[in-house]
Amino acid sequence: MAAALRRRSLAYFLLAPGTLWLVVFFVIPLYFMAKLSLDTEIPGTLHYRFVWEWSNYKEALELYDTQFVRSFIYAGIATLLCLLIAYPLAYVIAFKAGRWRNLMLFAVVAPFFTTYLVRTLAWETILSDESPVTEFLHAIGLAPGGHILATGFAVIAGITYNFLPFMVLPLYASLERIDVRVLEASKDLYASAASTFWKVTLPLSLPGVVAGTLLTFIPAVGDYVNAQFLGGVNNRMIGNVIQSLYLTQSDYPAAAALSFVLMAVIMIVVFVYIRFAGSEALMGQEAA
Amino acid sequence: MRTRARQPGRRAARSVAAAVAALAVAVGLAACANGIEGPVEATGAKVELENKASGTLVISNWPLYIDKKTVPNFEKATGINVEYHEDINSNEEFFNKMQPQLSAGESGGRSIFVLADYMVAKMIKLGYLQELDKEALPEVEANLSQSLRHPPFDPERNYSVPWQSGMTGIIVNKELAPEVHSICDLFNPKYKGKVDFLNEVREAVPLVMKCEGVDTEKATEADWMRAIEKIQSAAAEGQIRRFTGNDYAQDLTNGNAVAVMGWSGDAVQLQADNPNLEWRMPTEGCMLWSEDMIIPVGAPNPTAAEAFMNYVYKPEVQANITEYVNYVSPVEGVQEILVKREPELGNNHLIFPSASFTKNCSPTPTLEGEEEKNVIKAFDEVLNG
Repeated sequence: MAAALRRRSLAYFLLAPGTLWLVVFFVIPLYFMAKLSLDTEIPGTLHYRFVWEWSNYKEALELYDTQFVRSFIYAGIATLLCLLIAYPLAYVIAFKAGRWRNLMLFAVVAPFFTTYLVRTLAWETILSDESPVTEFLHAIGLAPGGHILATGFAVIAGITYNFLPFMVLPLYASLERIDVRVLEASKDLYASAASTFWKVTLPLSLPGVVAGTLLTFIPAVGDYVNAQFLGGVNNRMIGNVIQSLYLTQSDYPAAAALSFVLMAVIMIVVFVYIRFAGSEALMGQEAA
Repeated sequence: MRTRARQPGRRAARSVAAAVAALAVAVGLAACANGIEGPVEATGAKVELENKASGTLVISNWPLYIDKKTVPNFEKATGINVEYHEDINSNEEFFNKMQPQLSAGESGGRSIFVLADYMVAKMIKLGYLQELDKEALPEVEANLSQSLRHPPFDPERNYSVPWQSGMTGIIVNKELAPEVHSICDLFNPKYKGKVDFLNEVREAVPLVMKCEGVDTEKATEADWMRAIEKIQSAAAEGQIRRFTGNDYAQDLTNGNAVAVMGWSGDAVQLQADNPNLEWRMPTEGCMLWSEDMIIPVGAPNPTAAEAFMNYVYKPEVQANITEYVNYVSPVEGVQEILVKREPELGNNHLIFPSASFTKNCSPTPTLEGEEEKNVIKAFDEVLNG
């Protein structure tokens, strides 16, 4: 009894740092942001007053609906590309790499040793108009607009590159966990390699797919660095808009309102996705 | 037994909850005091001088906007310890980061900011600046360029001392865009996707107004909006590649852009690396601007701040700065020194423009009130595509 009781209070103590952190750096700022999003400016003073100004939401959405939709499209395409690139890669690392496995994993993570900003700036050089890469893409007819940098293509390419490890690692983790004997059983029962993959490997790796897509998609929607450096005039995302509302226009209420709508829409998308993909896929087969 | 067994756990939970609540209150108080919300405090302090400048002086300026010798020399000459931060990258961003503190009467420990004219105008109106005591600024009184003595936003220079000035015009790659001589030429479809515009509303839009033949000093809100529409359609057609700050330099050197709106001082440095790049005075004229040293409210050690302002207005000190930054110096007597020391710079008309060279140029307009809000909003919509 005493042991159970000690275990219980221990659980609370273990939870305390995380809870504190969340409350102080998430819940409280969120409350102030919510309040700010309903403020109105006292004219000419840059001071704000709380008046339940719901029109902040309406106006911000009317003005910036294009960038809003664009963010979800860019992030969606990038997530899909990440999945298509990462799955075969993770598969090879998990099943075929042998003694190269650790080296390959290291290669996936290695770019993280340089900062996000520097990696994105490197792409600015890679995709610049007179670079060999751009010239090659021109030659094979993949650059119809004349230039690649400062287009949506470049922004999506940048996001895909930057978030790829977030897709590879969870996929690898779930593939690596698969019991090889299950695959052998499938083979023993005369399943072809293809049907083993579709009926055994893929379903067992779904938790990785769900975790990877969420880890990629959610930050990608709010990303503004790639659009800032790799985008042109018609490729700005909602993150850029929020940044400019805060830092250029001093329109704090509109920025707060947009941030809230973004958060809400992402939560809805994620909720629907998890319902669709099945929460057991997210939690792993133990929950099934 | 069961109820008793639960109690310690509850007690633990309660102490966690209490700690969370205490922190929440603390953070809440801090957030309320941040000044974005709440009543407006009237300020409007004046610098009170001490006998002798000493102690520590914290300066915020733009990157690469001073030579390497001036600060150490000033420290040696005065015994003041300078913390020089290059943490200003954009007028608006810096202002918006500092604003909550400024409105609470604090300067974040800094004693000098260097910001553009229009931002200084705005801060004077908001009561965020200290009035200068000219007693301690004899060198400024003596050497400040005549043309900068009575700007409309601070007619007697009671709040601001110019740091550097410059011209906004066009920078072209002579080889790839030989025919670009005017702002209107930037709209030539021949250079589609190879043109960058500045993301500064008060420079980009008036330059386009000049192309439209509008007198920027008498421009109405409708004139602003028409110019913004022109920029918007050029952006939508893909004529304008992107809107930039200093980063147009990268587009020019990588060959991504062949003609851009750009600043005179940058061009001097760019040209040294790539002789094909050249700053051109647009046939319609350029925009003239200054960035000013100011002392924000609540700034510690204003005596040292004024000592620094005074120090950089000595022509021989200013010559070192001009030699390094290549912008137009607000200090008279610098050209004479540089002509002797480094004739190539001393005779450069981008650093020492003659009155006839800048005859069609206009000062950067300071927008106000509702008009400012509407114009910035419309331009930001274009920037955000």
